[in-house]
Amino acid sequence: MIALSALALLLAAVRPTPAAKPTAAAKPAPAATVGCVECHLALDDSRLTPPAKAFADDIHARNGFTCVFCHGGDPAALDQDVAHDRRKGFRGRIPPTEVPEVCGKCHADAALMKQFNPSLRVDQLAEYRSSGHGHALAKGDTSVAQCASCHGAHGILPVKDSRSPVSPAKIALTCNRCHGDRALMESHKLPWDVYAKYSKSVHFKAREKGDLSAPSCNSCHGNHGAVPPEVGSVANVCGTCHAVFAEQFKLSPHWEAFKEMGLPGCVTCHENHEIVEPTEEFLSNGPSGKCGACHEVGSPGAVAAAQMRNDLVRLATETRQARALVRRAAEAGMEVSRANFDLGRADDALVRARADVHLFRASAVREAAASGLTIAQSARKAGQKALEERDYRRRGLFVSLGLIGLAVVALLFKIRDVDRERSGRA
Amino acid sequence: MSAETVLSSAAPEPSPPPAGALDWLRDRLGWDDLAHLAAKKEVPIHRHTIFYYLGGMALFLFSVQVATGILLLLYYRPSASEAFESVQYIMAEVPFGWLIRSIHSWGANLFVGVVALHMISVFFLKAYRAPRELTWITGALLLFLTVGFGFSGYLLPWNELSFFATRVGTDVPAQIPVIGPLLSRILRGGSDVTGATLSRFYGIHVAILPSIATLLIGVHLLLVQKQGMSVPISQKGRNERGALRFFPDFLMRDMVGWLVAVGLLAALSAFIPWELGKKADPFSAAPAGIRPEWYFLWMFQALKYFPASILGIPGETVGVFLFGILAAVVLLLPLLDRGAAREKPSVWWNLLAIFTIVAALALTVLALLPAKGAPK
Repeated sequence: MIALSALALLLAAVRPTPAAKPTAAAKPAPAATVGCVECHLALDDSRLTPPAKAFADDIHARNGFTCVFCHGGDPAALDQDVAHDRRKGFRGRIPPTEVPEVCGKCHADAALMKQFNPSLRVDQLAEYRSSGHGHALAKGDTSVAQCASCHGAHGILPVKDSRSPVSPAKIALTCNRCHGDRALMESHKLPWDVYAKYSKSVHFKAREKGDLSAPSCNSCHGNHGAVPPEVGSVANVCGTCHAVFAEQFKLSPHWEAFKEMGLPGCVTCHENHEIVEPTEEFLSNGPSGKCGACHEVGSPGAVAAAQMRNDLVRLATETRQARALVRRAAEAGMEVSRANFDLGRADDALVRARADVHLFRASAVREAAASGLTIAQSARKAGQKALEERDYRRRGLFVSLGLIGLAVVALLFKIRDVDRERSGRA
Repeated sequence: MSAETVLSSAAPEPSPPPAGALDWLRDRLGWDDLAHLAAKKEVPIHRHTIFYYLGGMALFLFSVQVATGILLLLYYRPSASEAFESVQYIMAEVPFGWLIRSIHSWGANLFVGVVALHMISVFFLKAYRAPRELTWITGALLLFLTVGFGFSGYLLPWNELSFFATRVGTDVPAQIPVIGPLLSRILRGGSDVTGATLSRFYGIHVAILPSIATLLIGVHLLLVQKQGMSVPISQKGRNERGALRFFPDFLMRDMVGWLVAVGLLAALSAFIPWELGKKADPFSAAPAGIRPEWYFLWMFQALKYFPASILGIPGETVGVFLFGILAAVVLLLPLLDRGAAREKPSVWWNLLAIFTIVAALALTVLALLPAKGAPK
């Protein structure tokens, strides 16, 4: 009894203002949450206990924030009615429509957030309000995502923590929890197969290889302000990473033409989610060809596309063949580091020529490809020369071995003669 | 009296003109004595005579190393910024540069192998018995010099593998108590392997070691010449087959072996030119699978088995100390093997040697096996 009284006195001493916005100067003491957690853990209720358990590892708990900052109430009270007294600010379970505001109470407060993480943005609430999710939630649609849908409610971890559902490694799967739900997406008239398509993309494959800088959903759609990029802004969005392509595309005749036709820039040829590795076949009239959709066979556009394709194919083929020759020479132990270096330059030229396709001027591609072609041909010659040198060395070796063999035979005869002479004398 | 008259009257009697250039040289060089010596020199014939050829083979391969090494010097540049490129130039641009460098590299490995075999054969034939103790000691010193040649030459192309292997190798002397760190620092020319290490390894490889080696080879050959070839204990009294004249009988047989060695080196060079690898980058992480030349592998592997600490002494220090003891035993073997000194087969020493050789071979094989989890 005495102990309980002492605990109550202690808790009362550190009791915070219920549901008040915390300030860094009056950073809440961890003990303030003891009352909530102790009771909720003791309840052993499938709905009420897990939040208390999960909160122990929560980033907020680790920074001294307690249950009352979101839920209000009196953590020092040992009586449930007192602890859950609405007059003390207790609000219980926060409805989804109120979650952004509750989180934003602190996360939109620059002065407060600076005390904990000066680099953390404080515009998440404003961003969220501008998002598709935010608009729908404002209209009372509670099926859309709010803060807790992605970050979790009580076991919130920093984004850098790989266990967090919004960590770079997990964000796409987190989005797919809703965007892969066919019934939910159909009810919103949205596609439900975006993750399946994304998983075939070069971006996904790069992430599979461990490159977490490769784009995930939020890279293009934004995270808190998630909306699909608009037609006119697609090139800008892709251009945040593919800057050269975006610049070239803006200089190309397609920039104005696409705008007039209402075509969404990059994704017209590259798709939006299923962005597969582009090949020279994109410029062909075959099933993978992209130009044929607008340019009829024989039209100037189709002719230019064919020329660009031919130039790229020629350079790629020449480089590949040169590389095979140089590799054969290297495997034979020939010194071909210079040719290997040149092949790297030819690869660079091919990358440049492929990038120049986005100018949609056949002459630009030809110019870039021509420089690479000269380099690849020079590397090919070096490879051939090295292989000829290898054959020359081997021919020389056989001649030398023949001469050595003759000398050995001559010596053996001489040894036999000397031995006979000695035994004759003996 | 004119000055000319004085000079002509003071001049000695002119010697009669020589019969020919060869006779003129013979008079001055006195090679009749040498020919007489060569005619007298004999090699005993018995069932182990074949092992006598290893010494000649080692000497021949040393000469190949000297000749190819001098040719490489014409193009090699001993600096961190130019060493790799100069070897690349030798391999790609210099006419027959690839051949000279490959023969030098392959020859070095063959040389180490032949020297080791020569030493092992001399050990089992007990050729270090009195009065040939000094011949053995100079030979053991030459073996150490040979691996020194290998160690110092390995770094000279300044490639990734040699750079990191040298970093590990020059760390080993640092384990010696008291003087170790200083020794390592002297070897490296600083606290780490840098261009300064390359410069001094170059000096050691092309000047210091060759000078000492030439001197020791001279003493070694002089002793062999003076004391003649040793007849194994088991063959004493059995050499009814007599002896073989060294010149030209034995030398011609030696030459057959040398010609075969030249053919082997040429074939290896033509089919498997010694690779150059990537240029060393001191700031990059050590690539996986770094290991020294094959003849150091057994020590490299053995050091892995030493615990971190033995009786409070670092395990590697204990390992280096044991290698030191082994080297001392090898060097002073003629003084330690009392049985051989009494013309008796020293069974225990033989067993110890067999155990050491088998252990070294097993450790080498273990070092060559891919490590668990290593990329194939």
